Amino acid sequence: MNKKTIMALLLAVLFAPSLWAAAPEVGATAPSFEAESTTGTVRLSDYLGEKNVVLAVYYQDFTPV
Amino acid sequence: MQAFQADLAEFERRNAQVLGVSSDTIGTHKEFAKKNGIRYPLIADPEGRVMNLYGGQDRITFLIDKTGIVRYAVRGVPNNKELLKKLDEMEKKRP
Repeated sequence: MNKKTIMALLLAVLFAPSLWAAAPEVGATAPSFEAESTTGTVRLSDYLGEKNVVLAVYYQDFTPV
Repeated sequence: MQAFQADLAEFERRNAQVLGVSSDTIGTHKEFAKKNGIRYPLIADPEGRVMNLYGGQDRITFLIDKTGIVRYAVRGVPNNKELLKKLDEMEKKRP
């Protein structure tokens, strides 16, 4: 392998995680979703035109933070 | 997630709905919510459907305005003061 190939592979490995988990950027439309919650079915569309949404993605319940 | 509950009235005052999402099941969420007095919805996402749409497993918090546009995103443990400030700005811009 030449240097260029090695560099390309290295870059691919370094940036792969950010490609797998591409978060929507500021200014982009929030992806719509419908899911079950502790208070019943929640749809992002239910809040459109009514409320701002604070969407907090976290690891797991019963973790310190 | 308890921090959101502690400031829930402040979020509600800014016309904001707090939603938590993790890979836990409804059962675990209910237990967690009961133990910590969490009244806002916790979304069960064991297959990661919602989380994948929003950047995977990382701790990340989004502010989405009433038109469905992402106005703010922060990785790591969010600072409520900062979130409330951003929501103030978002509310000011809307008639």
